Amino acid sequence: MTSAPARTREHRGGPTRTVLTGAGAGLAIGVLFTAGMLADTLPVTALTGYAGSSPLATAAQLVAAVALGGLLGLLLGERVTGSGELVLWGLLYGACWWFLGPLTLLPLARQGSAAWDLSAVQAQLPSLFGLLLYGALTALLYGALRRCLSPGPRWGSLARGLVAGLLSALVLQLVLGDAGGLHLGWLLPAGALAGLCYPLLFGTHKTGAGPGLVQGTTYGFLAWLVAIAVVPVLLGGGGAAWSRAVVTEGAATLPPYLLLGAGIALVFTWLESLGEWLFVDDITKLRSTSPGSWGIRATGYGAAAGLVGGLVFTVVMLAVNEFGQVARIIGMSAPVAGFVVHLVIAQLIGISYAVLFRRRSFDLSSGLGWGVCYGFFWWVFGNMTLLPLLTGEPLRFDAAALDLGFPSLVGHLAYGAALGGIYFQLEERIDPWWFTRSTLEAQQAERRRTELLGTAPALWGLIVVVVLTLPVIIGG
Amino acid sequence: MSGAGEWAAVLAKVRAVPAGLAAWGALAGIAAAVPVGALLALHQASGPVDLPVLLAYPPVMGALIAIATAPRLRGRVPIASAGLVMGLLGWLVWSLTLDPWLRGERLDWSIVSAAHAYPVLVADLAHGSLTALLVQLLRAIGPLRAGTDAAKDSPATLGRVVIVGSGFAGVSAAKRFERLALRNIPIDVTLVGSSNFLLFTPMLAEVASGALEPAHISAPVRASVAHTRFRNRTVAAVDTDRKLVELAPGAAPAEWVPYDHLVLAVGSVPHFLGLPGVEDFAMTLKDLHDATALRDHVLEQLEQADSVEPDPAERARMLTFVVAGGGFAGAEAVAELFDLVHGVLPFFPGITPDEPRFVLVHSREHILPELSAALGDYAMQRLRARGIEFRLTARVSGATPVEVRLDDGGTIPTRTFVWTAGNRPSPLVRSIGGEHARGGALATDSCFRVTGLEDVWAIGDCARIPDPGGPDTFYPPTAQHALREGAALADNVASVLRGRTPREFRFRTIGVLVALGHRTAAAEIRGHRFSGFAAWMMWRAIYLAKLPGVEKRVRVLLDWVIDLVLPRDIVVTRSESPTRPERVR
Repeated sequence: MTSAPARTREHRGGPTRTVLTGAGAGLAIGVLFTAGMLADTLPVTALTGYAGSSPLATAAQLVAAVALGGLLGLLLGERVTGSGELVLWGLLYGACWWFLGPLTLLPLARQGSAAWDLSAVQAQLPSLFGLLLYGALTALLYGALRRCLSPGPRWGSLARGLVAGLLSALVLQLVLGDAGGLHLGWLLPAGALAGLCYPLLFGTHKTGAGPGLVQGTTYGFLAWLVAIAVVPVLLGGGGAAWSRAVVTEGAATLPPYLLLGAGIALVFTWLESLGEWLFVDDITKLRSTSPGSWGIRATGYGAAAGLVGGLVFTVVMLAVNEFGQVARIIGMSAPVAGFVVHLVIAQLIGISYAVLFRRRSFDLSSGLGWGVCYGFFWWVFGNMTLLPLLTGEPLRFDAAALDLGFPSLVGHLAYGAALGGIYFQLEERIDPWWFTRSTLEAQQAERRRTELLGTAPALWGLIVVVVLTLPVIIGG
Repeated sequence: MSGAGEWAAVLAKVRAVPAGLAAWGALAGIAAAVPVGALLALHQASGPVDLPVLLAYPPVMGALIAIATAPRLRGRVPIASAGLVMGLLGWLVWSLTLDPWLRGERLDWSIVSAAHAYPVLVADLAHGSLTALLVQLLRAIGPLRAGTDAAKDSPATLGRVVIVGSGFAGVSAAKRFERLALRNIPIDVTLVGSSNFLLFTPMLAEVASGALEPAHISAPVRASVAHTRFRNRTVAAVDTDRKLVELAPGAAPAEWVPYDHLVLAVGSVPHFLGLPGVEDFAMTLKDLHDATALRDHVLEQLEQADSVEPDPAERARMLTFVVAGGGFAGAEAVAELFDLVHGVLPFFPGITPDEPRFVLVHSREHILPELSAALGDYAMQRLRARGIEFRLTARVSGATPVEVRLDDGGTIPTRTFVWTAGNRPSPLVRSIGGEHARGGALATDSCFRVTGLEDVWAIGDCARIPDPGGPDTFYPPTAQHALREGAALADNVASVLRGRTPREFRFRTIGVLVALGHRTAAAEIRGHRFSGFAAWMMWRAIYLAKLPGVEKRVRVLLDWVIDLVLPRDIVVTRSESPTRPERVR
């Protein structure tokens, strides 16, 4: 008897199969959500944004869940592999549907216009949370049904995650102290748990430190989402758990979670690299180019791009008179000193961008994407955390602080976009990674392209759609 | 590159953006704006819709998205995410910044402003994604199909170009061809060089003096032009009728490489003018082997004079160092030899500091004719003050292993004779047809095309390139010219391959610098003269910056730092120690 030829993932059915699998996953999660709504443990607006517990409304919820799941299956297809990638795409999918469904199509059908104004958007906060969780869970279930989840992590990977989580939490706890009355005793257990879970999602998906940092920031958002939206429900918080008031109160823990996620990802990646450096004796498995051969040029490019970004940021700094505050970092108050410090910091961050994101962009839009994400990270880490610490001001992460820090967020995003865009243009001029000279190099470039396209667009999208719009919803 | 050159490059890049791509992107932006704009209009039914914005924003954003998203970004979902990012940036730039500014409102980027503009944010995000998806659709099925990956990843080449010579000119041309390939002007380039590195000749004298390590002033060709096919071979012949280049047999058998366009950048070799004994007994300073051989030879002379030689005449010959030629190479060589000998003299207690003798023979009244007379005199004065002798208006008429003969009847007893007084184009040039100028260089027009030959181009030391700036003037064979000629040549070859007219090469010499040994140099930059320590610092800074490759810059910088604090190495690396500098040919 001869065995049937092994069927690769690429050949396990066409679009019909993926749509059906997605619809099945969507139905399962839809049933779960509907049961939660009927049991009053979930807000009734969680999935579609509209209240209603009649059989018709319940049926509508399930139909929507099936349809959304089918479409998700179609979009994911066979391309997406790995648990982390699935979760990221699922989250982005849920966020997009929030804009498209509860904010656009349904209001359009009911009242003839989209509901894009802030009050309507704030009212639909429960459905944002619901759709984010629906998207992530459906994508994971889809992956399980298609057998494309990440394999279980090794013990070493779990240990690395635990160390990364504990270390990041410890450092954060030491640095943040008692930030604005925010008692951070929960950080250590949360860090340990998040650190252990990180390899489950991203342990087998090898990425560079820069993309890892953005991935970690998004992971931090996911951890915050679980902490603020899932845990209370599981603890019997009921339908009020996702209200704007509760979320606004929980907003104070969002920056620590984002920093925790970023820290976990960075330490995890670095520990992995350290392990390779110390214990891998096969040079073919290590990076072939030494940092000295590219580092100086990358540093120069990063400094130049950072300087341009800093000048762009200066427009915002001037308008909101922030140079005096920046000058206090060096114990001065003159705006000129603040301007100089600002430009020096801009260049230092530019250099760090070059080190972290070197050869990670493949066109201008990807450079902008990484830059915007990095700018956002530096808003949380730099503006909201380091700046108060360095200037002796109290740390505040509440809704009012988000409100105050919003101009700086705009500046950081503009800075990041300029940094990423200019750095890409400089890097592209000489020996870009996709410009190959042999079949082997072409294959390596193709692998890198596939890796980047696997998660990078989801990360940019999530940062833009969710993490950036949340401050407006909470603080607006 | 000059400021004008930078601007020209920027303009060229802007022109390189396909207008069609931007136009189709603009159309996609307008198309995407129809549903999104309708939704926004419905939403803002109670308020005014900004018509100019509705008309201007979509096409501009569409064009930007089309330009910013390369065909490399495959797939609908990834490109929609890129569109989201662009939409966010569009919102930040337009709705939060330009729009209030144009209305005369105070810019505060506050959360209140953001909340006010939130509906537009949703619209901009939707518009960005939809536009990106439409652009992708156009790439997949529509008029932008030509720019997709299939075309981009395996483009047909416009032609085959063979560059002979891996010096400044040849490598510069190859680098430019790589840049052109990045701009979707793919040309199949083969670079042939007898050495696998690009030698930075301005620092060669410092290698001869032991201040720099030989490998540190040479950059591997494969690293400099990583995407160019490189053949580390010698060219035996060129058949311009059949358009074939024959690579001489060596470790590999002979090989014929076909070309559509041939670029000759073979440089020059020492020319001994047929003077008796010079070719046999003079040392040259053209490549790394010459520099290390000269250093080893000088150290051997010191070793023998210190410990072995009892005969005063022979001892004087061993400690006399003669350089022929008062140009850059000669002046730098004699100055560096002086530094080498006096720098290592403490290791040779049997030699007193007044024993070593250095002589520069030059046929004119002033050395360094490339510089102004005043700077030439300054250089001569500085060198003379150290004790270097000058035999001016004298020519070498012959050489033996123990002396150099001059045309004025004089002789200089020496065992070290360095020849820098003449160069001629590589012998390969002589075997090629076409018009040759006096001295044997290939005569070209101002676009580098060799006169009398079809599709053959020449640059660098082997070419005589007319300067359109004046009658009967030609560009000098210097590194700064060779670098610019290489880049301009690649542009011209690409133009011809695309059916366009090549451009005349125009370049104004930036300046000249000459190192005069220990902490002294002379420089003339755009008419401004510099000398002494400032010029020396300038020399080091400029040439360090010009050195190919960051890695080599770091290594040379470290060599210079080490040279400040540690004595020079007196290890003789040559395995055999000939008693006289016979050239091995």
